[in-house]
Amino acid sequence: MRNDRELSPEQLQAFAAELDALRQQTLSKVGASDARYIRRVRTAVRVCCWSGRGLLFFGWFPPTWLLGTLLLGLGKIIENMEMGHNVLHGQYDWMNDPEFSSRDYEWDIAGPSAFWRHTHNHVHHTYTNILGMDDDVGYGLVRLFPEQRWKPFYRWQPLWVTLQALLFQYSVAIQHLQLDQYFKGRMSRDELRPRLRTFNSKLLRQWGKDYLFFPLLALLVGGQALAVLAGNVLANLLRNLWTFSVIFCGHFTADAQVFLPAVLDSETRGHWYLRQLRGSSNLQGGRLFHFMTGNLSHQIEHHLFPDLPAHRYAEMAVTVREIARRYGQTYNSGRLSSQFATVLQRIWRYRLPVAVQGS
Amino acid sequence: MTLLPLFLVRLPSHCLAPLRWLVRHGWLRAADVDWWLQRLHPLLSLQRVYARVLSRRWVADDMLAMTLRCNGNAMDWRPGQHVQLYWLHQGARLSRSYSLTAVQGNGTVELAIKRQPGGKLSEALLDELAVGGCVELAQASGELVWPQQTDAVLLLAAGSGITALLGLLRAALVSGYQAPVTLLHYVRQHGQQAFQNELQQLMQRYPNLQVRWLLTGEANATGETAGRFTPSQVDGVACDSLLACGPNGFVERVGQWWQSGERSGSMQFEAFTAAPAIDNGEVSSVTLSFNRSQQQVVGNNQLNLLEQAEARGLRPAHGCRQGICASCSCQLLSGSVRDLRSGAITSEPGQSIRLCVSVPLSAVALDL
Repeated sequence: MRNDRELSPEQLQAFAAELDALRQQTLSKVGASDARYIRRVRTAVRVCCWSGRGLLFFGWFPPTWLLGTLLLGLGKIIENMEMGHNVLHGQYDWMNDPEFSSRDYEWDIAGPSAFWRHTHNHVHHTYTNILGMDDDVGYGLVRLFPEQRWKPFYRWQPLWVTLQALLFQYSVAIQHLQLDQYFKGRMSRDELRPRLRTFNSKLLRQWGKDYLFFPLLALLVGGQALAVLAGNVLANLLRNLWTFSVIFCGHFTADAQVFLPAVLDSETRGHWYLRQLRGSSNLQGGRLFHFMTGNLSHQIEHHLFPDLPAHRYAEMAVTVREIARRYGQTYNSGRLSSQFATVLQRIWRYRLPVAVQGS
Repeated sequence: MTLLPLFLVRLPSHCLAPLRWLVRHGWLRAADVDWWLQRLHPLLSLQRVYARVLSRRWVADDMLAMTLRCNGNAMDWRPGQHVQLYWLHQGARLSRSYSLTAVQGNGTVELAIKRQPGGKLSEALLDELAVGGCVELAQASGELVWPQQTDAVLLLAAGSGITALLGLLRAALVSGYQAPVTLLHYVRQHGQQAFQNELQQLMQRYPNLQVRWLLTGEANATGETAGRFTPSQVDGVACDSLLACGPNGFVERVGQWWQSGERSGSMQFEAFTAAPAIDNGEVSSVTLSFNRSQQQVVGNNQLNLLEQAEARGLRPAHGCRQGICASCSCQLLSGSVRDLRSGAITSEPGQSIRLCVSVPLSAVALDL
């Protein structure tokens, strides 16, 4: 349970000032080592993806097929999380390199970068965990908090969540289309059409590359197209499951808090920081684990400082945790297994209109 | 690693067009293709211009001329234009603009780099960029052209402004321009008369060329004129067309003189320093240039750039309006801005800034 101390306006101001100071302190350190880091990440992505694709050309031979699939999946996970997500946040814009520019980067996933910059960077990071404003709370498919209005459709949500986990990249991609608004008649066809065009062309490229080009290339060089196709499908599936688990642990754990739109009225910087801290939850683990989650395991730090290079969150977390303690705020952190268990519990419990006591 | 000779690297620029099409339509990532191309030759790239330093020579106490050989992506460059030169400094890709003092058909160009005391980029270039080193350039830009159809040309250069005019002058003389040409080069002190030896040789070879040097910063020796630009210095100099290049103040003074008289020819000018940043808390108006939409408006140094752009009818991409989401990231082409959150001042050309938390401190040009 959360047991947060309420802060007076002066305390809130001091709280914000301390976090601002931490931001400045870290920002002043950002430089050559961060540029070297993100270039190394890019190299890791290339090595994984290219070697994975290379191994898949050897067909169904189990050692190469399995290793190839795993490497491709690994490369896609790193590209998606430590590379794409962080670059799109503008964390490396200061490098002034078109390769790492948030405006130009296009990631290897179904959702177009332009969509993501809106739904995630803007909507989710500005209105974090505000019901009715942050679509990431349940993605319209799942009821995770008792404050969300129940609909009969949620009765089957364990099934919807399973489907969403398997198809996670598509669930993220269609978010920006706002099909619900369209079917309710709140969005015109003219508004939808350009978005649909962007969406379709990105999907065509992704499918064309993974499911058509590389299988056909394998066929041309005398390999087995089906093995390549299956490897690509499995790699994408692995990435879907991993990103789903990490992201659902970010804001939907037992101790994560949701807010009502009223909090936005006269919200100060201090309130905003506090909302990010209370709405997010961290995952504990080793360096490799943090790397594999794209440092989203430091979800709290990411939400406080979304535009600082993510590999610095670990060092910032020490100070953030200490600040949270001094201001009497719960610092929500746990291992992946335990945090994920509380998410599953929420999915199971709030499928019913009235939560069953003790379940 | 070099598998191909440089002259071969310059050839396939057109052969790479299909790859460029794929990159443009999002099927390939330019950086990945470049990685493979650079296995063949370090200068080879799909879209970016890389160049190798062929030679360096000092042309003044504080100015170095560098000859560079570009890869095949340098398209239709002309002397008198300028290019951005990129240099990695503490992980960030900084850039400065340098004029092309010479352009040859085989992709060889000459740039002249002046040492700016305390300037991290010019000092790094002069001290660290050795013969054989590689640098990245942007495509050349600039509209200065030699006025072919005139009876006499006057060239006025101040400081490193000589570099833009020298490129045009050399090309015009070589191509047989016959009418009288007068060049006045204003420098602060002795030793800064860039390309003096070469200009003196040109004067001997081409009798229609007259060059004079003027010192603005210290006492003049015999035979030299002193002082900043005044109309009396060009009394009796035949000039139908004028080309002027130097800092803002210099170009403005020259422009006033030019417009005060009856002229038959044209004046072209290029000014290269931004007006000094206003940072004293007072409300003042600044010029905002939105280059993509080709608008120049008068703004102020109080409101953030996003609001000011919107007030002028522009619709920049934006999001949270509080510096979080980076949706409104935009390239600062020139000028300086202050970040409202940290108070940090950015005046790096080409740097990405967030419009919603940036206020202009001086005249600002944006890639918007």
